[in-house]
Amino acid sequence: MPIHNSTYQHWDGTHLGIWRRRWVIAMNGLRGAFQGKWMRHIAVLCWGASLIQIAFMFFLGQLLVKDSIVVRWVGTFNSALQGGVSALTGWLETHPELSVATAQNFLFYYFCKHLTVFSFLALALAIPHLITRDLGSNAIIIYSAKAINRMDYLIGKFLAVFLLLCITWLGPAVTAWLLGNLLSPHWSFFWHSRAVLGHVLLFLVLAITVLSVVALGISAIAARDRTTVAVWTLWWVIGVPLVGISTMTRPWLKYLSLNFNLNQLALGIFRIDLDYTRAQENIGFLRESLRDMRRRAPELLTAPEVTGSVIALVLILIVAVVVIQKKVRPE
Amino acid sequence: MVSSDSNLPPVIQTQNLTKMFGAHKALDGVNLTVARGAIGLLGPNGAGKSTLMKCLLQLLPISSGSARLLGREVGQEGREIRKRVGYTPEQDCHIPGMVGCEYVTYCAQLCGLPFQAARQRAHEMLDFVGMGQERYRKIDTYSTGMKQRMKLAQAIVHDPEIVFLDEPTNGLDPKGQVQILELVQSLWKVHGISVVLSSHLLHDVDRICEQIIIIARGKVLVHDTLANLKARRRGAAEVTVASGQAELMSAFQRRQWGCELLPNGRIRVEHQEQSLNPLLAIMRELHLAPLDVIPSPNALEESFVQALEISHADS
Repeated sequence: MPIHNSTYQHWDGTHLGIWRRRWVIAMNGLRGAFQGKWMRHIAVLCWGASLIQIAFMFFLGQLLVKDSIVVRWVGTFNSALQGGVSALTGWLETHPELSVATAQNFLFYYFCKHLTVFSFLALALAIPHLITRDLGSNAIIIYSAKAINRMDYLIGKFLAVFLLLCITWLGPAVTAWLLGNLLSPHWSFFWHSRAVLGHVLLFLVLAITVLSVVALGISAIAARDRTTVAVWTLWWVIGVPLVGISTMTRPWLKYLSLNFNLNQLALGIFRIDLDYTRAQENIGFLRESLRDMRRRAPELLTAPEVTGSVIALVLILIVAVVVIQKKVRPE
Repeated sequence: MVSSDSNLPPVIQTQNLTKMFGAHKALDGVNLTVARGAIGLLGPNGAGKSTLMKCLLQLLPISSGSARLLGREVGQEGREIRKRVGYTPEQDCHIPGMVGCEYVTYCAQLCGLPFQAARQRAHEMLDFVGMGQERYRKIDTYSTGMKQRMKLAQAIVHDPEIVFLDEPTNGLDPKGQVQILELVQSLWKVHGISVVLSSHLLHDVDRICEQIIIIARGKVLVHDTLANLKARRRGAAEVTVASGQAELMSAFQRRQWGCELLPNGRIRVEHQEQSLNPLLAIMRELHLAPLDVIPSPNALEESFVQALEISHADS
């Protein structure tokens, strides 16, 4: 076809602001991450988990409703379980301000903890779409030559991964809290569980921020997908046994585990140890099982090591920022 | 100052612009004032052409000195400058996983165009650079020629006032080179967009540029209009005649003009005159009709070589 057969037109419209340009980068990153079917499957799983959480909360609320299906259904089980549920119901009725908050705090701690796995998986799939491929295809030069600077680029990429984790983690958690309380027998559940929502938001916003920066750092390590995914996965997998190894060798080794640090942060915010104590004091049925738990999972019932984990997370963030600073350059 | 239109403000101004890479001086006190137009940036590989462009675009920090692009201080108003500037890098670069039109639209959005306008202009620019249905294919599958066109489209999609083109004909076949150069030429001549064309191919620059900057070892050796450079080397020409070549060469030699028959059939003559008139007069006397007369055929090349020789001698 003949070249330049169309007339070049000058453009005299108004330029959009810098936050719109950053948003464009974020949306592009998010679109890239969701191009793969596995990422979509993970998102579906996360929202499926949210539905299960809503079902748990519905179950909890129904214990307060006389002759509800749930109460009758529990009645069909053995007498011990029935006794336990009756004790919980009694506590819910007499001290709803404490019992609702305690029960939901338990539920949301475990919910947030279990969704960490999906979020780590989501990041393993998303990391190549953040900075790695831009480094591999020299796209950094293209970005740098446009009306944005390096910080704008990084903010856009940060927003992309932050939004991704909001979809797979924060969104399902907040939706579960909202719908779970909406299905409760009384509006006061919203009020009694307000602190739980605070815990969820505080923990998840902190965790997502840390993970987003760490993911950007790992994404900037190399220009090959395989390398960055391998680094992330190895760190994640090695982090699991590292906690056990540290008890036998050097205690500080556990702080190299991202999972451990995030879990300590969650324990520090949700204060599950206090909830266990409170439940133990109020529900006689649980005393025995809680005593057993103290033996099996002592970390849940002792004060969390928040300070050490926060320091470790800050150091990890500094390393990630240094990597980004060094690697994300047009030259 | 070199100016294609002295009424217009300069597009590039530098004062003692220096760029160091460790102990190596990539740019050594560059002083330039460049007017709008088609500007050719010439130099051997490693001369500092790309470094100069990157410093002006703030892709590299300046070590010392100062620079202004489109009247704005480089290093202080990065986003505002780049909103009005286009750039096609030398190396292969694109945003992975995108199809052509999506990529150009995205580049327009990065420059602040709203989505609708960005998409419309992306298609216009892809038409302009001669991309057909290939625009719906992933860029990763493009040939070198298509990638060069894509680079040009993304550089002009936001309607810049100046475009920096770093070796835009690299890796292209002769036909592709001609097409890209035609496009680049039309940017300034037809649409008024200033062009800075960096190349080590003298022919490319000779063909489309009005102003020439020759740079070597990080220093500006020559900065002048192409017309002035040619005027300085007025005493040579290449003549093509249908017949009577030997007769014509004898006539030249009788006047003590050095001449030689080139492999392409042309006669190169060093006539040492200010104009071509004496040469044409001789041909008239001999009743020889010239098929083609090229005045100062290698002016740019000679200027380039001479500048490099001086540079080598100085160092």
